[in-house]
Amino acid sequence: MRYLTKKHLSRRTLLRGAGVALGLPLLESMIPAAMRRAWAAGMPPKRVAFMYLAHGAVMDRWLPSGTSGDLVLGPTMQSLGSWRNRLSIVSGLRLPAAYVGEQTAGANHTRASRCWLTCAPLETGASPTSADQAAAAHIGQDTPLPSLELALESGESIAYRTPTTPLPMETNPRVVFERLFGDGSTPGERAARQRQFASLLDAVAGEVAPLQRSLPAADRARLDRYLTDIRELERRLALAGDSTLAELDVPDKPNGIPADFEEHANLMFDLLAVAWQADLTRVATLLLARELSNRVYPRSGITEGFHNCSHHSGVPANIDRLARLNEYHTRATIASLLQKLASTPDGDGNLLDHVLVVYGSGLSNANQHDHDPLPMIVAGGAGGVRGGRHVAVPEGTPAANLLLGVLQKLDVPVTSFADSTGVVEI
Amino acid sequence: MRRWPIAAGITFAALAVGVVVVDLPWLAGAGRGEVLGRYCVECHNDLERAGDVSFESLDREDLGGHADVWEAAVRKLRTGLMPPLGEPRPDRAVLDAFAASLEAGLDDAWARAPNPGTRPLARLNRTEYANAIRDLLAYDASAIAGTLPPDATVAGFDNNAEGLSVSPTLLEGYATAAMQISRRAVGDRTMGHGETRYTATPGAAQRLAVDGLPLGTRGGLAVQHNFPLDATYEFVVSAAIPAAGWDNPTGALVYCDGPQVDVTFNGAPVAVENPRRFRLRVPAGPQRITVALLDDRRCSGVNELYQGEVALGGAVQALTIDGPFDATDAGDTPSRREIFRCRPASSADELVCVEQILSRLATRAYRRPVGAGSAELAQLKRFYASGREEGGDFEAGIQYALSRLLVDPRFLYRFEREPDDVAVGAVYAIDGYELASRLSFFLWSSIPDDELLALAADGRLDEPAVLAAQVDRMLADARASALVENFASQWLLLRELDTVVPQDPDFDDGLRAAMRQETEMLFTDLIREPRSVLALLDADYTYLNERLAAHYGVPGIRGSQMRRVEWPEASPRRGILGHASVLTATSAPNRTSPVKRGQWLMQSLLGAKIPRPPPGAEADLSAEASKSAGLVGDTVRARLELHRASPNCAGCHGIMDPLGLSLENFDLLGRWRDSEDGHAIDAAARMVDGTALSGPQDLREALLARSDAFVSTFAERLMTYAMGRELTAADMPVVRGVVRAAAADDNTLRALVQAIVASDSFQKRVKTGDAPVPN
Repeated sequence: MRYLTKKHLSRRTLLRGAGVALGLPLLESMIPAAMRRAWAAGMPPKRVAFMYLAHGAVMDRWLPSGTSGDLVLGPTMQSLGSWRNRLSIVSGLRLPAAYVGEQTAGANHTRASRCWLTCAPLETGASPTSADQAAAAHIGQDTPLPSLELALESGESIAYRTPTTPLPMETNPRVVFERLFGDGSTPGERAARQRQFASLLDAVAGEVAPLQRSLPAADRARLDRYLTDIRELERRLALAGDSTLAELDVPDKPNGIPADFEEHANLMFDLLAVAWQADLTRVATLLLARELSNRVYPRSGITEGFHNCSHHSGVPANIDRLARLNEYHTRATIASLLQKLASTPDGDGNLLDHVLVVYGSGLSNANQHDHDPLPMIVAGGAGGVRGGRHVAVPEGTPAANLLLGVLQKLDVPVTSFADSTGVVEI
Repeated sequence: MRRWPIAAGITFAALAVGVVVVDLPWLAGAGRGEVLGRYCVECHNDLERAGDVSFESLDREDLGGHADVWEAAVRKLRTGLMPPLGEPRPDRAVLDAFAASLEAGLDDAWARAPNPGTRPLARLNRTEYANAIRDLLAYDASAIAGTLPPDATVAGFDNNAEGLSVSPTLLEGYATAAMQISRRAVGDRTMGHGETRYTATPGAAQRLAVDGLPLGTRGGLAVQHNFPLDATYEFVVSAAIPAAGWDNPTGALVYCDGPQVDVTFNGAPVAVENPRRFRLRVPAGPQRITVALLDDRRCSGVNELYQGEVALGGAVQALTIDGPFDATDAGDTPSRREIFRCRPASSADELVCVEQILSRLATRAYRRPVGAGSAELAQLKRFYASGREEGGDFEAGIQYALSRLLVDPRFLYRFEREPDDVAVGAVYAIDGYELASRLSFFLWSSIPDDELLALAADGRLDEPAVLAAQVDRMLADARASALVENFASQWLLLRELDTVVPQDPDFDDGLRAAMRQETEMLFTDLIREPRSVLALLDADYTYLNERLAAHYGVPGIRGSQMRRVEWPEASPRRGILGHASVLTATSAPNRTSPVKRGQWLMQSLLGAKIPRPPPGAEADLSAEASKSAGLVGDTVRARLELHRASPNCAGCHGIMDPLGLSLENFDLLGRWRDSEDGHAIDAAARMVDGTALSGPQDLREALLARSDAFVSTFAERLMTYAMGRELTAADMPVVRGVVRAAAADDNTLRALVQAIVASDSFQKRVKTGDAPVPN
């Protein structure tokens, strides 16, 4: 046995009684002690998350005023005050790829999120195409899950394994939980199920070749993808076998998707934090709101749907309303996540010290469907990144320059990314 | 005064039978050129290529060479989108005759070189997966299937092969589901306990008696729970129950000790010491459990007495079932009866019984014979052996083999093989088993049953009379409700209705459910009764319960059961255009959207393809926005007129908005209204062909007058769903054939289904061999 299995926490304490809303605040105590010690001695690995929020922002209230220098947060960003020194805001970026293609409203929205991390016109570009997957290809290969794709509402993915293969994003915390911790209630059961799982994959992989015969080429290609995916799962399974997964003391599962946006968001943030802490994955994408979403956020006090709200038509009252929603989203998402990360011990410090969180949108002024200047934040201290800065880049600088900067801070050996023309130093 | 007297006569005939297939000498070839030259080529020429289309150098005799361009032209003409507003436009009759002539030319070209296309390899979607498990194992796996990643919707449906790709995450989900389902269906005594939480409908529903719950109770919920083993289970009822002395807003003191929770098990009351948390021994299998609050103050079930009553204290919020604990046996469940058709009496029997069980399950799961001695059976037997070793008994072996079967590509994918002895490019008939699968996935969203497989084995399924009889049998089967749940619910926006959040205090889940049921029940009648599909536009009846009736202002309907209600001749509620479901799903969260309504009507009911607006063209139509902009528009309509005045917008909005505007008397939840914010509703509008509309009744009449467009669109949507792929220009002659066949049989849904099943597209494929992969 590699690690002590200790029942740190009653299986019943977590979600019983108060319902899902409790979240998983104590999950940290369920991480095997030995794992934390290992990182305390050395340096915890670098991790990254990319968080997407649809419909841009009211930019003049979102961006810091003035040019590069010390960060002075804009009016809708005040809830980030406590984290001012842990984040930088990058202004002036543009998403050129999102301008390529059909010039219609719907297409513009769709491309804003689909190109945000690929920086390539739809269905073009190298493989892997999205920045998170480029990161996963380097820093995600030693963990059971190369990357984790999460969403707070179903919508088109922002993560692309290849130009035409979006990775499905999971909205259900319970399913995320099972992916992270597996199914089964005792270590023995989990081990037996893992064996069964492995032999299933192995057997099915052997079945594909004979089935290929007498299929047309197009269908053979589809079946090939199935086989590739089986091989990938087998590889991950081998990693999971080496990890502490089987020895983790697994808490009770969340019961489903909370109706309340903030509860849902916090549950996902908790799961992300524990996945990072237990080194189950190092790369994550999180869709906070999808493009064209008309979701209403009751706790923001605004009754208009998000997409409608973003079309403010330049009317002052409507701009105020959208700004209020921006303020709410900042508080309920990025500020809340940073709080969670900063209060989660990791190695010699806390999680925020060892991660990078890129937060932003592929739209700027959504009323006009502009893809510049983009709202973009980089938070966290992985790779020696320091915050507290406003980084104003020349107008029209490709967003890929920032993503390249982030990838380099994560030690991904790349000198260019998509349409990058240089590196934004963060 | 008509310039084309011949055309007028022909068109009259066309409207009577649906679609014209007549060759008009004066319109063929050179005649087509005349209309094209006069009304189309001014923009669609090689130089200008408006919309990237030019007719200038196309062959006007043989249309087959550019079928896609001509089919697009037919669609524009048939839906009135071309010639554009403001440009010279001949009489409707001339345009119809011209479209008919193009259709005839296209059908003719198709008949000379039929092209049924292919059906791309697709995996089962979540719904099909859950239904297949239900039919294979008599086990309800919808909860487990619900944890698989959602399927993408392409061309309006989630069974489209293009949307059904795989990913490691999805495969992991399938493998995990296979293990969970096989354990639960077999009844694994080593399984750990787990919780399932059922949430009660919040809000007003908790103050009323719920249908199917005992008399004398209010609120609560009834669930059908699959208990995996004969065991003890813990039940926790979460309820907000006021403390003693709770004071209601009227000042009267009620419920000194809080209301009692009433629990029933399979209909019988259960006496438990603490009804908020208790344990019961439960036999394995699906059982029905209900919890509700005792209501000793009023006559239950008579909602009238609740009118005007302030909120009563207390409500059931959720029921959590945890277990199994202290399991004694796997019990006698439907899934075990389905799986264990035999039991080995001795070890000598064992293999015989194992083969019998597995070959039967595999034949049904893989949808073709898996006999003794086959490689497929050998695979499953190997898994049986390792499961038997790991788990120690016969049942553990079957469970292992079952998990193997459920991840097999033959189960997860719908294979259609290309025969070796057919040349690439040639058309061939798919085999009987493939036909059986196409049928069952089309009509049942599930695997074929034994009867279909037996007919496929006998080689008789493709005999027209046998096939037609099977279609009738399948439509009469309860599983045909899949057409409502999957086809109609996607086509008629009922899935959108599930997720909309109207900002209106009257809206809650009870109303949402009633709205949905109304439309589902009307559609179900199309399956059950020989009734024209035009009933969707003008049915003289509907289904209402108390909640929905109150919503519609229909008096005298009591209770939560939906029942049939007749509409008067002139009622604006006739047909789905008066259904609150559709009207709510096509509204914005805080107002009506005539644009959305008009667009949906044009696209989904009339078959138009409308381009999206150019960037920056959207306008904010909310009252808040107009007020702060100082605009004079006080109603949605007035604000919309402002935006339609722009020439950029009028091209499309001038065509679709009138349809939506004529529905303005229906508010964002589909309630009737005569005024909005103190301004009288003006539902007058003029359609692109000049027809004046003054409200929903006129719109219905106008749609009925062009019922061919509606029936064609219905056929097109149904065929898209049946094929699981987007239709192409090569499919449109087949669609027209389906419409003609259905027209001869009163346009019933049965006739449309029969004609689709009888078509080449459904029964044949083109061999593509090693042709390069599209996209």
